[in-house]
Amino acid sequence: MPIFKTPFNGYSVKFSPFYENRLAVATAQNFGILGNGRLHVLSLPPSPAAPISEIACFDTADGVYDLAWSESHDSLLVAAVADGSVKLYDSSLPPANNPLRSLHEHTREVQSVDYNPTRRDSFLSAAWDDSVKLWTVDRPASVRTFKEHTYCVYSAAWNPRHADVFASASGDCTARIWDVREPGSTMIIPAHEFEILSLDWNKYDDCVIATASVDKSIRVWDVRNYRVPVAVLNGHGYAVRKVKFSPHRGSLMASCSYDMTVCLWDYMVEDSLVGRYDHHTEFAVGVDMSVLVEGLLASTGWDELVYVWQHGTDPRAP
Amino acid sequence: MAMRELVTGAANCDPSASSNPFGALANALIGSSSKTQERLKEIPTTTPTAESQFFAQTEDRLRAIPGSESDQSVLPANAQGSEFLRRFHAAEHGGFADAWDEIQQANVPSIPHDLRVGINPQIQPTLDGPPQRVLSGLLHSFVDSSRGGLPFRPAQLPMLGLSEGDKQCIRDRSTIMARHFFADKNEDFINAQVNALLHSLDIDSDVRGKGPLTGRFRELEDYWNESQGMMKPGPHLGDAWAAEFNQHRAEHGGPDAWVNSFEQQHGANGWASEFEQQYSQLATVDQMGRVNVPSLAAMEQTRMLAHTLAQNDDPKFQNSKFLQFVSKMSQGELIIDDNQVKPAPVDWASEFQQQYTAGPSWADEYLHRGPDQWANEFAAERETKGALDDQWVNEFSKLHVNEWADEFGQQVAEGSFGDNTTDDWANAYSEFWNEQKQQSDGSRGVYVFSDMNPYAGHPNPLKEGQDLFRRGLLSEAILALEAEVMKNPDNAEGWRLLGIAHAENDDDQQAIAAMMRAQEADPTNLEVLLSLGVSHTNELEQAAALRYLYGWLRYHSKYGTLASPDMPESLYHADVARLFNDAAQMSPEDADVHIVLGVLYNLSRDYDRAIASFQTALKLKPSDYSLWNKLGATQANSVQSADAILAYQKALDLKPNYVRAWANMGISYANQGMYEDSIRYYVRALSMNPKADNAWQYLRISLRSASRDDMLNACDSRNLDILQKEFPL
Repeated sequence: MPIFKTPFNGYSVKFSPFYENRLAVATAQNFGILGNGRLHVLSLPPSPAAPISEIACFDTADGVYDLAWSESHDSLLVAAVADGSVKLYDSSLPPANNPLRSLHEHTREVQSVDYNPTRRDSFLSAAWDDSVKLWTVDRPASVRTFKEHTYCVYSAAWNPRHADVFASASGDCTARIWDVREPGSTMIIPAHEFEILSLDWNKYDDCVIATASVDKSIRVWDVRNYRVPVAVLNGHGYAVRKVKFSPHRGSLMASCSYDMTVCLWDYMVEDSLVGRYDHHTEFAVGVDMSVLVEGLLASTGWDELVYVWQHGTDPRAP
Repeated sequence: MAMRELVTGAANCDPSASSNPFGALANALIGSSSKTQERLKEIPTTTPTAESQFFAQTEDRLRAIPGSESDQSVLPANAQGSEFLRRFHAAEHGGFADAWDEIQQANVPSIPHDLRVGINPQIQPTLDGPPQRVLSGLLHSFVDSSRGGLPFRPAQLPMLGLSEGDKQCIRDRSTIMARHFFADKNEDFINAQVNALLHSLDIDSDVRGKGPLTGRFRELEDYWNESQGMMKPGPHLGDAWAAEFNQHRAEHGGPDAWVNSFEQQHGANGWASEFEQQYSQLATVDQMGRVNVPSLAAMEQTRMLAHTLAQNDDPKFQNSKFLQFVSKMSQGELIIDDNQVKPAPVDWASEFQQQYTAGPSWADEYLHRGPDQWANEFAAERETKGALDDQWVNEFSKLHVNEWADEFGQQVAEGSFGDNTTDDWANAYSEFWNEQKQQSDGSRGVYVFSDMNPYAGHPNPLKEGQDLFRRGLLSEAILALEAEVMKNPDNAEGWRLLGIAHAENDDDQQAIAAMMRAQEADPTNLEVLLSLGVSHTNELEQAAALRYLYGWLRYHSKYGTLASPDMPESLYHADVARLFNDAAQMSPEDADVHIVLGVLYNLSRDYDRAIASFQTALKLKPSDYSLWNKLGATQANSVQSADAILAYQKALDLKPNYVRAWANMGISYANQGMYEDSIRYYVRALSMNPKADNAWQYLRISLRSASRDDMLNACDSRNLDILQKEFPL
C-alpha cells in the first residue's frame, strides 16, 4: 500500500469523514520540540501501486500536533498548533487564503482537537495549559473553558452518541467525563498511575472508553462502574501514545506507541492483541481507522512517513 | 515561535516586530485586521499547490466516491465556499461568514504577502539552512539517545541565536516529551540527558518557567536573599527558594490559593509527606554526595510511581524516577541554575541541616507529631489567621533566620508531644529512611510490620490474635498476629490469619505479602492458596490468580487427581474453569469448589456465572460472611448494585467489623448515585481502619460528587472526627 514522505516528523493522521481516499497529516519539525509545522491534505491513489498525491499543504510557524476534519463541511480542517493556537483551514482554498481563522487562547501547546460528530458545529481542543476549550466555527472566541485537570491535558474526545458529553485524558493520571451543560466534570476516573496520553470512546457502546498511558498499557473502562477496568491491555513496550476505537467493530481498537509499533486489540477476547505492525522506524505517534472503508488503517510517526494499509496486509508491501 | 529567526539568523526581519521599519510599515499597511496580521506571522508557503489542479482533482473524486454522505459533496468544489457561507448566514453565524468574506476578498489584492516578499525576499525560509541542520541533528541525537539508553553527548554548536522563547520551548517540550518516552531510565540519567541538551544549547537559569515577580513577593524574595547572604555566601539558594514559591504564587494567585492548591494537589497530608520525601531525598543526597534530587512538588507522583514500579517485574522499570523529573522541569517547578537542574527546596533543606545539625531538629518535631497533626495544625493555623497572606509575609520579613531557628527550637522544647530527646538529624533521618525503604518494599510483596507493637512480648500472641480476630477487632488482631509471626516466622497459620485480617481490612497488598509468607511456610495449605487467588483477582493479576487457584485444586485431597501432577507452563482460564467444573460435578456439596468457581468467573468477568456459583456456595455455607461479601462485590461489578447492598448487609450482620464490606457498601451506593449514603459507609469503614487508602480515595470522589466540597479538607487531612460528626450512620 502507498507511503507518503513528509518533510517533518509526523504527529497525527486522520481520514476524511467525507471521502474514502482522502486523509490529512499533521507534522512538526524537530519532533515538535522547535520549529515549523505543516498540515498536509493527501489523496490516495485508485490503485495501490500509484503514489499518494498531495492536495494541499499549509505551513505554520510552530509544530502541528493534531488535526480534526470538520463533520459538517468536507474541506474544513481544525489544526492544533504547538504555539497554543487552534487554526481552521479550508483545504479547497489556496494557502494564501488560509488559515480561515486562528484562535489563540491556550497559553501552552495544544495537543489534540476533536470535532463533534453529532452536533457537527463545535470542536474541542486540549492543551498543556491544563485546560480543554470548546469552540464553534462561527465564534471568534471559545465558548467554554474546562479547567480542572492539574497537569497537561493530552486528549479530549466527544462521546459518539451524546452531543454534549466528552472525555479528557491528562498527565495528572486521571480521565474525566464532562457534560458541557454541567459546570464541572461529572466523573473523575483515576485510570492509571502514570500520565494518560490518549483516550477514545467505543463507537458502539456509549459508556465505554479506552485510556492509553505512559505505563505502557491501555485500559478499557465502563463509566457506569469505573472502579475496575473492563480490560487491561498489555503488550506495548513503551508509552502508548494514541488509542482509537474502530468505527466498524465495537470491541476493536488501534493504538500506537513509542515502541514504534501500531497494535490492534479486541478487548473482548482472551488474547486481546490481534495485530501488531512494526513498520515505523521511529516513534509511532498517529494512527487512524477509516470510517468509510472497513479495515483501512493509517499511521504516521517520527520517521516522517505516512502509511496507509488494509488490516492484515503488510504496510510496507509495495 | 520565532523559527524564522533561527532560520535566517535575522531576528528583526519579523514584520510584526516594531523595531523593524519594514515590519512597522507592513503593520501600518495592513492596519487593524488582526486576522491578516496573524497570518503575516506565519511562514509563507513554498508549496506549489496550483488551484486549478486542486479543483480538477476534487471534481474527479467527487464522482468517484461511493461513500460520500454529505449533500455538499455533490456540489462542484468551487461552490463549496458559498454553500458553507449560506449555511452559516442561515444560522445567523455572522462572525464566521464575515471572516469568510474577508478571505474571499483578500484573495485578489493580497497586499501583505506581496509587500513582504517584495521588500525582503530572503524572508522566504530556507528550511535546511546551516543552523537549522545543526539544531535538527542535535535534537535528533537527543531523541535517539532515549532509545538506546545511551548517554547523550552533544557536539559543539555554533552560536544559534536562539531567542528566549525558543529556549523555553526546547526546555519545556523536550522535558515533557522525554517524560513520556524515557519511562525506564533512572533520574540521574535523565538529568544528564536533559542537562546535556540544554547546556549545549546554552540554555540556563535565565529561562525560567514562569513570569516575573510581583510586589509583595519580590520583597519576600529580597528578604530571603538578604538573610541568606548574611548567613553564608552560598549562591542562589534563597533565590531558588523564592523562585519556587513565586511559581506557586504565579500559578495560583496568592498564598492562600497556594495553600489551597497545595492541599488540592497533595492532600493536606501532602505537606507532611513532603517532609517525608525530603528526608528520603536527603538520604540520597548524603549517600551520593549531593547529586540530583527530585523536587518535593512531585511527591504525590513519586509515591504513585514507586507503587507502580514495585508492581512491575521489569528490572529496568524499577529504577525509574524519570517521570516526575521531566514533569517538574516542564512546568517550571525546577530551575536551571549554572546549567544544573536544581530543585530549590532541597538546597534550602540541606542548608538548614548544615546549620542546625545538633539540637532538636525539625525532623524530631515532625516525627513526634506525626504527619496528620502537622497537617491539621497547618490547616488550623490557616483558619485562625484569616488574612494569612499578609501575616505570612510580615512575619517572615520580621524574622531573621536565626530567630526563626530559635523559635523552632523553642517550639520543640515547649511542645507537649512525646519525649524530646535530642536525637540528631541523622538519626531521625535514618529512621525515616528505613521506614521509607520498608514501605517501598512492601508494595513489592514484602510484608511491612507495624512499629511499636504492644503485643511484642505477649506469651501467646497467636491465640490472642485468633481471639481478637474472632471478636472482629481486625487492627488489633493484625498487631497480635504480627507479634506471632515475628516470633515464629514459619508459622503458616499465623501468616494466613494475618493475611485474612488484612484482606478483611481492605489492604490487599499486605494481604498478599502475608499470604505469600504463609505459602512459603506451607506450600500446600488450601485456604492460603484460595486467599492468594482471591487477592490476586482483586488486584486484577490474572496469571497469578490462576496459578494459585490451580494450586488449590492440585493439593486438594479429593480433586488432586483432576490436575496434572506438574504445574503447566502457562495456565489458561478456560482450562482451569473446566477442571473446577469437573470438581463441582464430583462433589456438588463442596461449597469451596463453588467459591473458587465464583472467583474464576470474576476473573473472566463472567459475572452472571460467578453470582450463580457464589449463590450455590451460600446455600451450602449460609453463614460465611466473606462469601456474602464476595457475592456482593460480584453483583456490584455486574451493575446490580441494589442486590449487592443486600449481600453486603448480610455479611455485616454476620460480622459487624468487616471493614471491606462497609467500604464495598459505600461503593455500591456511589454507583447508584446515592453519594450521601456512600459517604456514611466509607466513613464507617475508615473509622474502623483509617489506613484503608482506597476508601479515602473513594470518599473523596463521593464528597465531590455529592457537592460536599466543604468536607474535602477534612477528608484530605483524614480528620475522622469531623467526618463522623457530619456523616453519622
